[in-house]
Amino acid sequence: MSTITIAWIALPLFFGFVIYLLPKLDKYLALCVAFASAGYALQLFVAQSPLTLQLLDNFGVILTVDQLSGYFILTNALVTAAVILYCWQSDKTAFFYAQLIILHGSVNAAFACADLISLYVALEVSGIAAFLLIAYPRTDRSIWVALRYLFISNVAMLFYLVGAVLVYQAHHTFSFAGLRVAPPEALALIFLGLLTKGGVFVSGLWLPLTHSESETPVSAMLSGVVVKAGVYPLVRCALMVEEIDPIVRIFGVGTALLGVFYAVFEKDTKRMLAFSTVSQLGWILVAPEVGGFYALAHGLVKSALFLIVGSLPSRDFKELQQKQINTTLWIALVVASLSISGFPFLVGFGAKMLTLKNLTPAYAIAMNVAAVGTAILFAKFIFLPRGGQTAAKPGFWPAVLLLLGGLIAANAFYVEAYTLENMLKAIAIIGVGWLAYFLIFQRTAIKLPRMLEQFDHLVGFMSLISLLLFWMALPK
Amino acid sequence: MKIISMDVMSTGVIAYYVLIASRGGLFTPIISNAKNVTYADPVPQAVILTAIVIGFSIQALMLVGVMKLSRDNPTLESNEIEKNNTP
Repeated sequence: MSTITIAWIALPLFFGFVIYLLPKLDKYLALCVAFASAGYALQLFVAQSPLTLQLLDNFGVILTVDQLSGYFILTNALVTAAVILYCWQSDKTAFFYAQLIILHGSVNAAFACADLISLYVALEVSGIAAFLLIAYPRTDRSIWVALRYLFISNVAMLFYLVGAVLVYQAHHTFSFAGLRVAPPEALALIFLGLLTKGGVFVSGLWLPLTHSESETPVSAMLSGVVVKAGVYPLVRCALMVEEIDPIVRIFGVGTALLGVFYAVFEKDTKRMLAFSTVSQLGWILVAPEVGGFYALAHGLVKSALFLIVGSLPSRDFKELQQKQINTTLWIALVVASLSISGFPFLVGFGAKMLTLKNLTPAYAIAMNVAAVGTAILFAKFIFLPRGGQTAAKPGFWPAVLLLLGGLIAANAFYVEAYTLENMLKAIAIIGVGWLAYFLIFQRTAIKLPRMLEQFDHLVGFMSLISLLLFWMALPK
Repeated sequence: MKIISMDVMSTGVIAYYVLIASRGGLFTPIISNAKNVTYADPVPQAVILTAIVIGFSIQALMLVGVMKLSRDNPTLESNEIEKNNTP
């Protein structure tokens, strides 16, 4: 079993380099890796028992895989497979697939490791691979967006490193368990790094521009899995060390509300999806016990939405309301939008209900507000006119069908959600959201300033958040 | 300019690791004839070696990106580049 785990972590990185040597086989090799990961994740669900590997004594690498990481790995595998299928007939070079598979592998490694330094390495590798993917079109804008991304994530990881060595000083290992005895400044620095990398709360405001200005398949990948590499360690820490749990939950609520607030006023489809990612990350953090299932639901639906929106004739909501979109495309869009708003029979419903069940009443109220906000957002998509004749790209349908099929099949993980009470609640949330959309938000035209997303402010906010975290982590 | 300052930050972090490693002692932890001397802790040093390599490669990548950008923005003022490239 442990051999399989190590082989599975090494496989994508190895294949990534093999693709350079055999560029003709690029797509097939990449798809093989994605299916291998999916198989490994399913095997984790069958095995039930968590597996912990400690390589090279106390100072070495610690890997932990259980059902929580199983959900994240499955998300990663399905999204990667969908992205590869989407690009199947495009003229992407072997370089693109190699980077994609290395990104997949490094994110997998981040989902498996349980010590600070291997996490650092995995996150940095994923940052570099994501940089290369964003900069793939080599236009000025894409290079600038990619540079901005790499700069922010690297600065965040430097803070994280300082935090890691403080943990080492206190505990003499780099394992997550060391956070329990670590001083508050270590906690603040490590969390700052992870929050920024994961795109959570104010420190995650780099995310909308990066995700909306990348190419369609790349934004699907970034939004679907890469941000989760920063979120997963937070969830894992919250589960292992109960003192951290309230901090993570507060950030979850804050993020969910902030993301929805920005997204409601957004006029651009891709930016709206990116802000919605910010808010959905809050949903994952707010209930760490069940975060894995929500991550699966969100990863599938968000990458499907990015792929669909990439095939729409325009990015501006105003223009889209004038044009008619292809009816089959519209059906796919509606299925995905309903899932993310939590409509029964799709996985978003089970995930939302499970999360709400695991909350204290005060948090549950805030999260219900966020759920209504999500319903408002996606009403914008559902009520677009249909009947047009724009055909989708080849390779689009296999990818989207895979993701939408995943949305329905993943219901099997939590069948108990289907009680009458829960269904009524979900439909009520969506109903309130749609009503609010028709009465208020369809007509408003408020444009929020984007000042906070400027480069200098992003770095400035990092230091503010670190102060906030330090204050929160101080023993009361 | 910002990239250089990022490099200064990472040098600071590296120096901090070395400092932590040498708190126990300054001797190189290699088996030798000397007995009972205070050794430096090898673990942070080993770890920071990885970080140095990663930091270096990121530095190189970013500079290549900046070289590409400099063709259209010879002054390399980040405010100007940002203004031209945000929608």
